[in-house]
Amino acid sequence: MSDYFAGIDIGSTMTKVVIMNDGIISSIIGPTGPEQRRLANRVMENALNQAGLPFDAITYLVATGYGRINVPFADKQVTEISCHAKGVAHLFPECKTIIDIGGQDSKGITIDHGRPTDFVMNDKCAAGTGRFLEVIAEALEITIEACGGMALKSKEPAQISNICTVFAEQEVVARLAEGVPLNDLVAGILESLASRISRMVKRLKVANEVVITGGGAKNAGLVKALSDKLGYATLVPPEPLITGAVGAALLGKDIVQKATKNSLPLERKKRSLEEIEIL
Amino acid sequence: MNEQNSTVMSKVERYYKDYGIRARELKKEGKTVISYLCSLVPMEIITAAGLVPFRIRGNVNEPITKGDTNLETIACPFIRSCFDLSVKGWYDFCDGIVIPHGCDSMTRPYSTWRYTLGLPYSHFINVPHTVSGPSMEFFTEELNTFRKSLGRFAQKEIADSDLIEAIDLYNENRDKAKALYDLRKSDPPLISGTEMSKILTVGMSLPVTEANELFAEVLEELTQRKEAPVHKAPRIMVDGACIDNIDFVKLIEDSGANVVVDSLCIGTRDYLPHTDVGGDPLDALAHRYLDKINCPRTYREKAEGAYEKDLTARFGDIGSLGKEFKVDGVILYVYKYCDPFGFEVPARKAYLDSLNIPVLYLEDEYSAGIIGRLRTRIQAFLEMIE
Amino acid sequence: MAEEEKKQERKKRRTATEAASSIGAMVKAAIGGTVKAKEEGKKLAYSFIVCSYDEIIRAMDVVPVWTENYAGVCGAKRDAERFLERAESQSFSRSLCTYALCGLGFDQWREELGEMPPDAPWGGQARPDFMLSSGQILCDPRNKWYQAAQQYMPDVPIYDVGLPYPLYEDDIEVADVQDYYIKYIVAELRGLVKFLEEQTGKKMDYDRLSELVDLGERTWNLIWETYELRRAVPTPMGTGDAMNTMVPMVFMMGTQEAYDFYLDLNKELKDKIARKEGVVEDEKYRLLWGGGLPSWFALTDFNYFNSKGAVFPVETTYRMIEPIYRLNMPDTNDPIERLAWRWLGYWTYWYDKAKKRPGSEPDVERLIQYIEDYQIDGVVMHEAFSCRTWHLGLIWQLNQLRKIYKPIPVLILGQDGKKGEEKRELPSLILESDIIDISTYSEVDTRNRIDAFIETLEQVRKNKADRR
Ligand code: SF4
Ligand code: SF4
Repeated sequence: MSDYFAGIDIGSTMTKVVIMNDGIISSIIGPTGPEQRRLANRVMENALNQAGLPFDAITYLVATGYGRINVPFADKQVTEISCHAKGVAHLFPECKTIIDIGGQDSKGITIDHGRPTDFVMNDKCAAGTGRFLEVIAEALEITIEACGGMALKSKEPAQISNICTVFAEQEVVARLAEGVPLNDLVAGILESLASRISRMVKRLKVANEVVITGGGAKNAGLVKALSDKLGYATLVPPEPLITGAVGAALLGKDIVQKATKNSLPLERKKRSLEEIEIL
Repeated sequence: MNEQNSTVMSKVERYYKDYGIRARELKKEGKTVISYLCSLVPMEIITAAGLVPFRIRGNVNEPITKGDTNLETIACPFIRSCFDLSVKGWYDFCDGIVIPHGCDSMTRPYSTWRYTLGLPYSHFINVPHTVSGPSMEFFTEELNTFRKSLGRFAQKEIADSDLIEAIDLYNENRDKAKALYDLRKSDPPLISGTEMSKILTVGMSLPVTEANELFAEVLEELTQRKEAPVHKAPRIMVDGACIDNIDFVKLIEDSGANVVVDSLCIGTRDYLPHTDVGGDPLDALAHRYLDKINCPRTYREKAEGAYEKDLTARFGDIGSLGKEFKVDGVILYVYKYCDPFGFEVPARKAYLDSLNIPVLYLEDEYSAGIIGRLRTRIQAFLEMIE
Repeated sequence: MAEEEKKQERKKRRTATEAASSIGAMVKAAIGGTVKAKEEGKKLAYSFIVCSYDEIIRAMDVVPVWTENYAGVCGAKRDAERFLERAESQSFSRSLCTYALCGLGFDQWREELGEMPPDAPWGGQARPDFMLSSGQILCDPRNKWYQAAQQYMPDVPIYDVGLPYPLYEDDIEVADVQDYYIKYIVAELRGLVKFLEEQTGKKMDYDRLSELVDLGERTWNLIWETYELRRAVPTPMGTGDAMNTMVPMVFMMGTQEAYDFYLDLNKELKDKIARKEGVVEDEKYRLLWGGGLPSWFALTDFNYFNSKGAVFPVETTYRMIEPIYRLNMPDTNDPIERLAWRWLGYWTYWYDKAKKRPGSEPDVERLIQYIEDYQIDGVVMHEAFSCRTWHLGLIWQLNQLRKIYKPIPVLILGQDGKKGEEKRELPSLILESDIIDISTYSEVDTRNRIDAFIETLEQVRKNKADRR
């Protein structure tokens, strides 16, 4: 019988589930929702359906991400730092630096053979995260998805002097009224965001290859701005949202293999997808 | 954990939760209580004057409100919390306040404290920034000014013999603190970091004789402990400034590590150095508070122009504590707006790097409400060093 | 910012005095001069302003590199951000003194490249031969900044000069403690001389030092007299200009050039007064800049005040002098001792006065004196988030001022914790931003606050008129 390993990455906005045996056999991304565990459940269920597996078939399940603590059916909790390191190294064996840009936080990780060697994180200030983009996009009445393309069309990105999200929002609206082209404004905003992230990441010993993950990686304009600021070429995985979940599943696999090798008992939680009470 | 059924630990718990409860009682009994900030105020002089020294503490669970109407929010959040609690009357049993020249956040608003609290006694101790012959002489004079001023307030001439007696009592206290630290050397340690933080914090709120009794009781009980209260786990040292709440250490321990030693103000920085005995007591106090307390606010350059050698003078104690307590990693915890520590972060990190000790640097506000967001960083750090 | 205004900003800011407008070139020349001096083999010292050692380094022909100045220049040119970011990448917190961060970012970059960072403002800040910290009560970065910079320049030695002064206490007179303060400061300054002698291989010429200290003292007196001319109505010079004319005071003390500058300024002001020429044509409100370093990138805010008829005849910021003859200095010919007494005298200057008014305090007393001498209608302060030294205690000073100073019948509309409008006879305004970190500044917000403040001043004036 083949072993199946699952990773569930519960972020502040999105929940990602990956089921693997030798390769990925199912991966689902769904909203975390306000009642995070209940929806996390549903994402798990969808992933199992997609894989055509009963929950019991999962040998080991690792939870990660912001909501990892409250997953009753997870066998182990591991931080997203370790999981991203593992997941990205699986996809890009030469990777030395990861930049993850999420909805509520952003982080930089340096890795060596799939293990983190150092990391930095920003989650207290919206200005260095996807949240910044969200606020600004709303103020400019455009979608986040459109931002990347618009920015790439700009020849002269606007200078945005304010870092604070609230001030920047004011500034952008005022500049728009002055007639600064929208593309330039968007490009300016992405540069400002990229510069926030880049100077945080520069606290690490950045080295090639640099891989960008998370929602921010889907924004071509941001990726380009970030590469420029960092002075490194960057790579983006085909599905940048699931690297954490992939890593979680792989870490689960490592744990099981280690236990089997040393004939150690494995602690596993009950595989139950019943409604979970919200604390 | 056998903490629950221990009477002495529940006493510690009570003193910690209701910080200042003993000082309040003593005040009712007619004693005079002198509050102070920071590790640079010689408690020996207050004790020698027959007064009760009481260290002002902040509280990470209490939002800063009233204090902000008189003190700018650009002060370090620990000081803001101390000020806030003081103006809210938490420490209204105090008759005076002594503030040393620790850092800008402490020094610049001296008048603000003095006038806002309106206490019968207040005094500022000017601590020089360098350690040299002239600065030591100056500081001794400055302590003498304090001694005279406090003597006038207490209507008691503080004699050398009073100082010598107080010095002995505090040295005894430091011996006991050292013995408590020694309990943390085993793996797993015989006392958790959270317990230790509580005990040391509480010690700062008691007259030294009572602190000595309490520490003795704690020691007696802990040495009886058959079983460690915690499991084997990565051994962590916390490095930083004024941590006077257990919440941060607890967060680390809840994340699956043991905090086994520290380089903190309410910790080894203040509790380990002894005052020399045998010579002039005031000289000895000046020497302890200026030279022996190794705080980044004091500039130490031992080898002129040789930056590398200075690193050992500045941080050597951290390195040797790390070795002595066999730490697996250091968490450097610094508050926003803390100038003395903030400017040292790269150097401290580089020093620990050179010793191959992994280090995690965290900048924080002073609030239990948001401390949880550090959890992921701490856990990731633990996963990293495992 | 409107394009129109942006262009204006790139042009030179309008100053009221010729003297102020000549400063930019002066600073530029000084900074360029350090780079040149370095090439000529002169010894360069990173130095802090308000450090009491100006004359000593001048007498030793050591060229000061004022690191605060360079950071300020980067700020004024709105080009500090990249250096701040560098410092941040080195793990320095962005909450620390941004002068220091800018300097550290710059140093790290210069040392990494082995040459000036690209497009460094005004040619860049030269590498020092040594650094003179100033271990005093004044500010933590004065101790920590150069020590941190040493990480990037481990071969550059530091001398840390201890310069304390006693804080104001009820039960202690300056006279009780001054002897040991002076003794310590003198020892520290002599230690500095020794250090400089070792570094430069030259002996101190004490006659020359005496001359320079003399010159310094004459300059102090001259500045004081000159600044007092600004009491005139309309005032011939405002704080906006003073943020320029402070340059010779804090960066060139002990030089003939500084003295001559204030002679010119003195003459210029007298001429203006004779012609009744004010900063603005129709002077409506006279304001006191009661504390805080300015936002160097937004000095045009002073012009904005002016455009509303408001002027600043006086400021506490960068008025780092008092008349020497009032400082209670003992007779001594030893120039080092004179420097020490000057230091102590300056910092305790207002103590006696404060003792005479119940509830007063030196900083508050100084505000009161200026309010009276300069016929002030309102107080403006700036809280720069990154510098605790000059910006902690301001709120309290305002509160205390209200408490103990007379013309304050307070009328509060709205009660029960609700934010009501307070109508005071002496309104005050606290602006919030930073010295050089432009990302904390919002022009819209700042100017809204200024507008509201001006309205309050108008209202107060109306109320007064109505009562009459
Ligand atoms: S934490 Fe830092 S800034 Fe705050 S009181 Fe302590 S040394 Fe001063
Ligand atoms: S006085 Fe303020 S701005 Fe100047 S160096 Fe000190 S902290 Fe920085």
